[in-house]
Amino acid sequence: MRLTLFLSGVPASTRVCALIVSLWLPLSCSALAGDMPADNGFVDDDRDITLRVAYDTDPVSLDIHEQLSIRMLQLSHLTFDPLVRWNRDLELEPRLATGWERIDDTTMRFHLRHGVTFHSGNVFTARDVVWTLQRLRRSPDFRAIFEPIERAEAIDDFTVDLHTRKPYPLLLNLATYLFPMDSRFYTGTSADGRDKAEIVKNGNSFASNHLSGTGPFEIEERHPGVRTEFERFPGYWDTESPGNVDHLVMTPIAENATRVAALRAGDVDFISPVPFNAMQRLRHADGIQLISMPGTRITMLQLNERRVPAFRDSRVRRAFTYAVDQTAIAERLLKGFATPAAQMSPEGYAGHVATLQPRYDLGKARELMREAGYAKGFTVTLMAPNNRYVNDAQTAQVALAVAAMLAKINVAVEFETLPKNHYWAEYDKRAADMMMMGWYSDTGDSANFFEYLTFCTDPETGAGHYNASEYCNPAIDALVERANLTMQPEARARLLKQAEQSIHDDAPFIPLYWQNLAWAASDRVDIAPVLNVINMPYLGDVVVHPR
Amino acid sequence: MKQDRAGTETRWRRFGDSYFVYRLRRDRLAQLCLALFVLMMASILAAPWIAPSNPYDLAQIDLLDSELPPFWLAGSEPGFPLGTDAQGRDLLSTILYGARVSIAIGLGAVMLQAMLGTALGLLAGYRGGVIDTLLMRLVDIQLSFSTLMMAIIIGAVVKTAFGGAFYGDYGVVILILVIGLSEWPQYARTVRAKVLVEKHKDYVDAARVLGYSGRRIMLRHILPNTLSPILVISTVQIANAIMAEAALSFLGLGMPETQPSLGSLIKSGFDYLQSGSWWITLLPGLFLVAFVLVVNLLGDWLRDTLNPRLPEGPL
Repeated sequence: MRLTLFLSGVPASTRVCALIVSLWLPLSCSALAGDMPADNGFVDDDRDITLRVAYDTDPVSLDIHEQLSIRMLQLSHLTFDPLVRWNRDLELEPRLATGWERIDDTTMRFHLRHGVTFHSGNVFTARDVVWTLQRLRRSPDFRAIFEPIERAEAIDDFTVDLHTRKPYPLLLNLATYLFPMDSRFYTGTSADGRDKAEIVKNGNSFASNHLSGTGPFEIEERHPGVRTEFERFPGYWDTESPGNVDHLVMTPIAENATRVAALRAGDVDFISPVPFNAMQRLRHADGIQLISMPGTRITMLQLNERRVPAFRDSRVRRAFTYAVDQTAIAERLLKGFATPAAQMSPEGYAGHVATLQPRYDLGKARELMREAGYAKGFTVTLMAPNNRYVNDAQTAQVALAVAAMLAKINVAVEFETLPKNHYWAEYDKRAADMMMMGWYSDTGDSANFFEYLTFCTDPETGAGHYNASEYCNPAIDALVERANLTMQPEARARLLKQAEQSIHDDAPFIPLYWQNLAWAASDRVDIAPVLNVINMPYLGDVVVHPR
Repeated sequence: MKQDRAGTETRWRRFGDSYFVYRLRRDRLAQLCLALFVLMMASILAAPWIAPSNPYDLAQIDLLDSELPPFWLAGSEPGFPLGTDAQGRDLLSTILYGARVSIAIGLGAVMLQAMLGTALGLLAGYRGGVIDTLLMRLVDIQLSFSTLMMAIIIGAVVKTAFGGAFYGDYGVVILILVIGLSEWPQYARTVRAKVLVEKHKDYVDAARVLGYSGRRIMLRHILPNTLSPILVISTVQIANAIMAEAALSFLGLGMPETQPSLGSLIKSGFDYLQSGSWWITLLPGLFLVAFVLVVNLLGDWLRDTLNPRLPEGPL
């Protein structure tokens, strides 16, 4: 069994996101200046409720298969529905699929919801699911993710079977990425004679300008890069949704300070991401709520064994993890907007081991260094991105704090911080002895961390692609691979926990923290119930209180 | 020996009787500035001995001491009179050490500017003709770029070409080069103007008649007579160079975070300005402003004093 999951999709998407963010930077926000609707806000004569949302970037297209990025997935949740979705407690809840059952190790049957219509008026059936899956396999960004699925088979109008190539325990996680599209709407040729279904990156395809989904909102107006307006879809199937927003305006505001100012001035009602240094102010601001949740993105420092012979000694690596005080970093430097980490899997993940806590102990660290024969220490280089302009915890400050902590076990750190886009080039070259890495598991599963960050590097399969520790422990790899073939959730979790424990004991990296996610909204928006740790606010269900 | 001492004594007395000291005795502001300047320079130079800790030694930093307020606020700790920054560095020590870096860069950059500018100004003024035209057009071109922009471009190119680690190791040298190379035209212009005046004076003609080489006339005869404007510009330029360094560091093109200068210290505290820890930015900022103000006022006073054409007393 090789890495079948998210083969190259994730790296690509991470890159793409980083790229988009950096591309957006120069375009400081002119969007706010012109086109904000007048502050008619919440209660109109005809009782229209408007929600004005500001993100840092605009969705690049209306074609949800054009790019795999957080923004596009958020757009998908607004205008489409997935088969299943994660709720706040990281449990799956049925959406367009009302039920599912395993037929055999490689087949899962989904029962689809009746009475769902697309924005175009077409009725949603199993045919749309099959069609969407076929289209996904042509999408450069999504192809890799859906690689484990061999084919979809419509049994009848409201039953569909998904066949995987091999036993695949994360099929339901994958179904959260499957937003059925309106096959009839997207079939045929457009006015200029092109196939309506084609996927063109950054191009002018039919799907990038037209949209028909089953979601709570339809597109009313779109000015790319300026503003997108959504109207509540009157025929939305989920009549139990408490959502009461009739009109949604989404404006990209790239500049962090401007986005925060827009919220404080009441020009927008909801912002994301919240810049780190504004969190404390927003927490105490009147009429504004700041909601922060432990995130699932692990930040770590990888210790390169190939570059530094000392790191081949597990005692030295463990000494490093004992020397770093994650709690102080999370509490002091990151102001409590991060959860100190001692492992990769955050709470709620199958592999999370509750007993693994930060093990800061300077005495133990010094002792281990002495045992390993490095009492006098040595010099290492460290590289970290310095995202002054990106919403990320202040990684440069964190790197400096770690350098100061390692100085206490006589390790001299020569450290360098780079802008994010330069950083990744250096990262690929493994240019420093210690590299900072942030990783988010797209599958919502622990195995993904291991596959990319600790597996023995194999350029053929892409395993260990981000393993800048250059650590290789086939025994741990085997545990994870066995977990990937184990369909029984408890047995699988047991294997992953075992892997997490072994990695912890062997310490090929210093885990630092899971950065919290944060959103800020006007008090009138009852935002908390629709937020979740995967950063997909389900704005279709949001309740806005009249003024 | 005896004669020597007598010689220095008379020299001292002569200095004491000079117009310079006479003006200083009568100018309270100048006295205050000089006193402050001496105090600041002394504490900066003595930083390794008087600072409570060495902020460049990472082993002395403890994150748990971070963001302590200065002594007059509640929650301060005695070991950190001016509080600490976000990393737990003692702010007083960091300011003193940072000022060392800033002033080293300021002085170095001004020396480079002065050497380059004076040499080219002398050459242009004395030789005239094509050389003059070429050099002065070069000056014009350089002056049409903003200094800071030049410095940013050079800094960014060096950083990309040699990598950030190199930049970190040789930060001081690079900043001296960057600021020095972008500010020399000030000197070149002033010196040239002065040379144009001087070169038609009789003593220059006399030297020429005596058959001295052009180089000797430039260096031995004209240069000493252009020194007072050079001195005056230098005081202003030192302040400018320190400001330029602070600006570059603030933009992230200056000293690395492990060896903060005043500018990078101000920058690193900037993110905390609105979250309550105002002292991280404000205190180094005040120190920088005070130092630059003192140097500027002294420079002003020096210009007035050394310029015989200005009437006595305030203008």
